[in-house]
Amino acid sequence: MTLKLLYSVAAICLLATNAPAQEATPPAQDTGPRLTRFSEDPDRFTQTDGEALYRTTCQACHMEDAKGAMGAGAHPPLAGNPKMRSKHFLAGVILTGYHGMPRFGHMMSDEQVASVTNYVRSNFGHDYPDTMTAAEVAGLRPPEDSD
Amino acid sequence: MTMRHFNPTRRQLLTMIGQVAGAAAMYQAMTSMGFAGESGYAGPPNLQGPRTGRRVLILGAGIAGMAAAYEMQRAGYDVKILEYQDRTGGRCLTLRGGDRYTEMGGHEITCDFQGDGYLNAGPWRLPVHHRAVFDYCRRLGVALHPFIIKNNRAFLHSPNAFGGQPQRIGDVEKDMRGHVSELLAKALNQGGLDQAVTLEDREKLLEGLKGWGVLNGDYTYRASDATGGVRGWDIPPGGGLMPEASPSQPTDLSALLQSGLWGQLFGFNSYSFEPPMFEPAGGMDAITDAFAREVEDVVQLNARVIRIAQGDDSVTVTYEDGGRGGTVREETADWCICTIPLSVLAQLEVDCSDAMRKAIAAVPYASAFKVGLEFRRRFWEEDDGILGGVSYTDLPLVQIAYPNYGFLSEGPAVLQAAYDTATGGRSFTYSWSSMTPQERIDAALALGRQIHPQYDAEFLSGTSWVWHRVDWSLGCYGQWTDDLRDIHYRRLCEIDNRLVLAGEHCSHIPAWLEGSLLSALDAIKRLDQRENA
Repeated sequence: MTLKLLYSVAAICLLATNAPAQEATPPAQDTGPRLTRFSEDPDRFTQTDGEALYRTTCQACHMEDAKGAMGAGAHPPLAGNPKMRSKHFLAGVILTGYHGMPRFGHMMSDEQVASVTNYVRSNFGHDYPDTMTAAEVAGLRPPEDSD
Repeated sequence: MTMRHFNPTRRQLLTMIGQVAGAAAMYQAMTSMGFAGESGYAGPPNLQGPRTGRRVLILGAGIAGMAAAYEMQRAGYDVKILEYQDRTGGRCLTLRGGDRYTEMGGHEITCDFQGDGYLNAGPWRLPVHHRAVFDYCRRLGVALHPFIIKNNRAFLHSPNAFGGQPQRIGDVEKDMRGHVSELLAKALNQGGLDQAVTLEDREKLLEGLKGWGVLNGDYTYRASDATGGVRGWDIPPGGGLMPEASPSQPTDLSALLQSGLWGQLFGFNSYSFEPPMFEPAGGMDAITDAFAREVEDVVQLNARVIRIAQGDDSVTVTYEDGGRGGTVREETADWCICTIPLSVLAQLEVDCSDAMRKAIAAVPYASAFKVGLEFRRRFWEEDDGILGGVSYTDLPLVQIAYPNYGFLSEGPAVLQAAYDTATGGRSFTYSWSSMTPQERIDAALALGRQIHPQYDAEFLSGTSWVWHRVDWSLGCYGQWTDDLRDIHYRRLCEIDNRLVLAGEHCSHIPAWLEGSLLSALDAIKRLDQRENA
């Protein structure tokens, strides 16, 4: 089973997320499932794993295979894109946005930005040995983002 | 000797105008003083027209491009529109049964609605103060009907409140008003507000709170015949020998506060969503279809612009006829009005000032999505008594909008079953955008059944729209910030030699049709002035 297929199975698997431990009183009826793609907090992404973060953000435009897509305008590929050589460039774009791309800095922690940066730079045919740390992301963060 | 100037206040001046010249004149004066003015719209643009033949090339057949073409053509300009798609209307787009669309990434969106229901992928409701939209609807004969923005019978919902049971909007609103009135009355009666409220005002305020919050004689908010008449009944008043009426029970203040549902009401305070709102009968594209009927002779479809080159007296646009990879052709004109979204325009070759180029590249494009689901029957009407309006939830689907047409009819009907934009500040819209069309439908069903369990038995088919997977917009709307506007907005909108930009991105009302229209009208007025300077 390919990773992609495995993921799409996972995505339609429903997981109950209202763990009884988090509830003062258990709800009168099962409050039901949430798809794993969504974050638990509407204001921030709650996934910590680089792949899970990629699947719920970057994938919207850069696609499942990170090859981007093209029509009247294009979403650039990440796969094979020489700009991925610089971990600082990639993490900076995630933090602050770039041209039409919205910023994600206010919805991701330093750890999350590092994690998705490292995921992109070690998948899709990439094998860059240098990794990004949360501390390095913190250094790139524009002042208004730190909260 | 000193001249004594009479310096009337605005109210004195208006009263004088009203007494002397009547209400119509007073209203006109109010408008010009900015009192009654509701958008920047001041009527049709009243262009002078060119002194000699002038050709205007318009890029994009959305509402901005078509409105510009319509007005300039009427003023005597020779216009032509180049449009990338095989349709007109731009982001004013309605999906109906039989529609197919291949997204970026190759997934096909299908719409197999069997009934007359539809999904407005972009704009879907019109605030009455969007005067330009309403005036063009009037001039072009677009029939409007009410859009129920607030239905007190629709739901507020959180999976973590009231055992996941949805609450009626009207109940939450009236209970919050009752409880807050009770608390305020208590504070007044205990002298807690003596510093802030005079004795005379205190009596008036108490009297008012009693009526406004439906309080009892002792200033408490409790179920009574009076609350029944405001909040509704557990046993409603009936006929004949039916049981005695019994008022519904208010929900406790603490439970309401902890539920978070109060906060879901705040959206109704927004000026943009003030009732009444309106929508065109049969789908929002009725508006752009009406424009298209006026300008269809000058629209060339399937033309992908790749370059905008400027000379001193002319502008030349290079495009691929038939889309990407098509035959390369050129059009030359005296002026170019470009309505291509900045997300796409930033990727094209454009001769313009450095400042404009930077502005074009500076604006991110917001994420937004919708899912539409068709069901066998109108269970929300039949079972839940919800005729039109919108329910809100903390679930990632954010809101469910019910059709405001075809009430009580038999047969299939369509819900706008999930919708959010980046403006809401939530993370969900990105997650929806990363899904395949089938995953979006599955998610909308899995989440929505928590509010409407009838989903499982009644579902027929679904469709969806994700603006970041649309190759001609690469996102939904220009996501301006105050900082970006300070640096770039003016330079983006200024005429650059032979080129001017228009569209919602060149407005202070991003994502709304009104913003696109006002931007186009302002751009053509300035071109016309430049032409006649």
